[in-house]
Amino acid sequence: MLAVGALLHAKQLSRSPFEITTALIVPVVQATLAVYLFRAGGEPGRLLEAAVGAGLMGVWSSVLFGSGGAIQNQRWLGTLEMIMLAPRPPALVVLPITLATALTGTYAMVATLVWGRLLYGIPLDFARPLLFAVAVPGCILGLGMFGLLLASTFVLLRNANALTNTLEYPIWLVSGMLVPITALPAWTGPVAAVLPTTWGARAVREAATGSGPVWPSLGICLAISLACLALGALMMTHVERRARAAATLALA
Amino acid sequence: MSEHAIEAVGLRRTYRSRTGWLRPQRREVEAVRGVDLTVGNGELFGLLGPNGAGKTTTIKMLNTLLVPSGGSARICGYDVVTRTREVRRRIGYVFGGDRGLYDRLSARDNLRYFAELYGVPGREQRRRIGELLELVRLDGRDDDRVEGYSRGMRQRLHIARGLLHRPRVLFLDEPSIGVDPVAARELRQTVADLAATGTTVLLTTHYMAEADELCGRIAVIANGRIQALGTPAELRRHADGRRVLEVEAYGVTDRQLAAIRTLPGVREASMDVVGAAQVLGVQSDAGYDVQADVLRALDGVRLGRVTARQPTLEDAYVAIVNRVAEERPIEAVAA
Amino acid sequence: MTALLRLIGTGGVIAYRALFNWTTPAMFVGTLLVGPLFQLFFFAYLGRQLGVADDRFYIVGNAVLAASVACVFGGTMAVSNERRFGTLGHVLLSPRSRTAIFLGRALPYALNGLLIAVSTLTVSSLLLGLRIPVTALPGLLLMLAAAALACGFFGLTLGAIGLRFRDVWLVSNVAVALLLLLTGVNVPAAGLPAGLRAVGGVLPITHAAEGARRLVAGDGFGAAAPALAAELAIGLGYAILAAALLKLFETESRRQATLETV
Repeated sequence: MLAVGALLHAKQLSRSPFEITTALIVPVVQATLAVYLFRAGGEPGRLLEAAVGAGLMGVWSSVLFGSGGAIQNQRWLGTLEMIMLAPRPPALVVLPITLATALTGTYAMVATLVWGRLLYGIPLDFARPLLFAVAVPGCILGLGMFGLLLASTFVLLRNANALTNTLEYPIWLVSGMLVPITALPAWTGPVAAVLPTTWGARAVREAATGSGPVWPSLGICLAISLACLALGALMMTHVERRARAAATLALA
Repeated sequence: MSEHAIEAVGLRRTYRSRTGWLRPQRREVEAVRGVDLTVGNGELFGLLGPNGAGKTTTIKMLNTLLVPSGGSARICGYDVVTRTREVRRRIGYVFGGDRGLYDRLSARDNLRYFAELYGVPGREQRRRIGELLELVRLDGRDDDRVEGYSRGMRQRLHIARGLLHRPRVLFLDEPSIGVDPVAARELRQTVADLAATGTTVLLTTHYMAEADELCGRIAVIANGRIQALGTPAELRRHADGRRVLEVEAYGVTDRQLAAIRTLPGVREASMDVVGAAQVLGVQSDAGYDVQADVLRALDGVRLGRVTARQPTLEDAYVAIVNRVAEERPIEAVAA
Repeated sequence: MTALLRLIGTGGVIAYRALFNWTTPAMFVGTLLVGPLFQLFFFAYLGRQLGVADDRFYIVGNAVLAASVACVFGGTMAVSNERRFGTLGHVLLSPRSRTAIFLGRALPYALNGLLIAVSTLTVSSLLLGLRIPVTALPGLLLMLAAAALACGFFGLTLGAIGLRFRDVWLVSNVAVALLLLLTGVNVPAAGLPAGLRAVGGVLPITHAAEGARRLVAGDGFGAAAPALAAELAIGLGYAILAAALLKLFETESRRQATLETV
C-alpha cells in the first residue's frame, strides 16, 4: 500500500513538465552557486563538500515543496477530500506523498553531484563511498518522515504556501547544510539539535569527507525522524478531525 | 448609424490543432462553415444549436475575440476585424457558468475594474455601478467577495458587467446554464426588459421555452451552418403538417416499435421511459390520423393516457437537427 | 489624459488586489517579508564563513534582490491568473489601450517590491550591525525604486511569456534562479564567466545592487549615477518588451485561438 502510493505520487509528479524542468534546472543552479562561492572564497579543496551540501539543500527543497505543495495541489485538484475519505488512517495516506517527494529529492542530490562533476570537474572521491550510499537514503527517509509532520500541519492551513516559502532558507541555514553550525549565533544550537535535517546533513557530510563516524549522526537523525513520524501520525488524526470541523479541506 | 446591429456574411472559422510532439499531426476542424445573418437594431435574436454546433465560435468572431478565417462581419456598421476598438465600445459579452470573475474582489470592485477597462467615465462610474447592482438585485451583498456567491448571483453579476458601458449590442452565451428555475425566470425578465429599452440582444440557449418566450427571431445552427431561420412561429412550421401522438404504455417491444415506424403517414417514432411507464411519441403527417393504426399495432399492451397535440418549438428543433444529422454525421467539433 | 491615468492607477490597484495570491497577511509577512530576510542571512553567513566578501556586500545585494520576488511572481500572477479566473476574454474585450492596462498592473508590484527591499535592508542592517551613512539614504531609496520598477516590468514580461506557454510557474522559478545566480548579488560578478556576466548585465537588479553598494560604501551619488541610469534603461527595455509581447500574443490569439480566452 505504501509502495503503490509512493509510486503513483512519484508518477504524478514526474508527469508534470513543470516538476521535471524544475528538477533539471534547480540542481544546476545550486551546484553552480555553491561552486562559485567556494571558489571565490579560495577554498577549492572543499568543492565536494559544497556539492554535497548543495545536493542536501535540493533534497530539503524537494521535501518541503513536495509535502507542502502536494497537499495544496490535491486541494486544487479537488482530490484532498477524496483522499481523506479513504478508509485508511490518514497518516498512511499522506506518508507516500512525502516519501515520493523524498525520492525525487534523491534525484536532486545525484543531479547536483553529476552536474558538479560534468560542469566544474569536482572530483567525486568520497571518503567512505559505501557509507555515503547508505547515509543518503537514510537521511532522505528521515526527511520524508519529517515532511509528514509538516504536511499534517499544512492540511489544516489554507495558506500552507506561506510556511513553505518561508521555511526553505532557515532550515538550510540552521541545519548547517553549507554553513557550519558553529558559524551561527549560539542560540540556534538547540534548534539545530532537534532538527533531523541537522543530523542527516552531518551524517552525509561525514560519509563524504571522512570527518567523523557516520553511524551516530545517522542514528540520531532516524530516531528524531521516527519521533516526527509518530507525532505526525497523531497530528494527522487530530488534524483530520479539526479540518472536518473547521471546513478547511475543500478548496479555499 | 447603421440600420443593422449585426451583419455577418459567409462567416467561417477553422481551428488548427497539432497533436503529437515528435511527429506532429495537423488536424483542421471547421467549426463554422459559412454563416450569414442580419440582426436589426433592438432585435432579440436567438441562436440555437446542439453542443459543438459553432454557436460560441460564431459569437467570438462577432465580438472580436477571434478573427474569422473567411467571410466578414460588422457590428453597428464597424468591421469586427479592422475596427475592433469601435466594435468593443458598442458590445457587451456575458457567458454562462461561474468563471470569469475575480473571486477575491467584491461585486462592486469587479464592476469598478471593468468600468475602468470599458471606458466608463470616472464621474459616472459610481452611479452606473449602483444602478446596475440594483438592476441585478445584488445591492446589499455588493461588498462581499464573489467567492461566496451562488451561481445565480455570479450570473447576475456577469450581466451587470456586460451592461456597464451601455452596450448597443449584448451577446448572451447560454446565460441560464446551471441556474435554478426561479432565477432563470428572473433572468428572462431582465433580458426582456433590456430588449424593451432598445438594446440588441443575441442570445444562445439550450432551453427552447426560453428562446420561444424571448426571441423575436431564431436561427438554428448545426454542423457549422444555419439550418433554419425565422420567428418561433415560422420555425414551428418545420414540424408543421405534423401531429404528435403520445401514448403511455407498459411493455412495448422493439418489434412493435419498428412496426409503428412503417405505418403509413408516420414520420418518426421514439420511445422514452418515464418511471415505470414507456412514453411512445409518434410524429405523423397531419393528413393522416394514425391513432387507430398505432393502437392496433400495440394490441395486447396495457395502455395509459393517449394524447394528440400540436408540435412545439422543441419538436421543430429536434426535426431540424435530426435532419442535419441524417445528411452527414456531425463531427466532434471544438465549441 | 486623466482617464488614462485612472486606468493605469486605479485599474492597476484593483487588479493587484484581484490577482495577487499573496495579499493575505500570513502570506505577505511569511513569503515577502520574512522569506527574503532568511535568504539574506543564509548568504551573509555563508559569505562570512568563506570570506568571499564582507557583510555589506551581502546585505545590500540581497536587500535589492528582495524586491524581485514580489515583482517576478506578482507579474506572473497579474497575467496568468486571468486564465485561472477565466477573465482574460473580458479584459481583452476592453476597447482601451492594452499597454496602459497591463503596464498599470506592474506599478503596484513595483511599489510592493520597494517596500520589501526597504524593510529587508532596515531589519538586516540592524540585526547584523551594518552602518549606512545617512547622506546615502535618498540615493539608496532612488536606487531601490529603480530596481523595483525594473523588476515589475521584468515580471510583466515573464507573465506575458507565461500567458502563451502554459507552465507559468516554471518561467518565474527559472527567472528567480537566474536572478539569484547571475545578478552578482551573491556570487561576485568577477567570479562568473564572461557569457554569464553578460546575461547578468541585462537582468534587472544587477546594476542597482552594484550602485547601492557604492552608495553604502560612501562613494557619493555621482559614483552611483551610471548604475542608476543603467537600471532604469533596463526597466524601460522590459516595459517595451512586455507591451510588444502582449500585443503579439493577442493578435496571434485572435487568429489562431491560442489563448483560451473564455
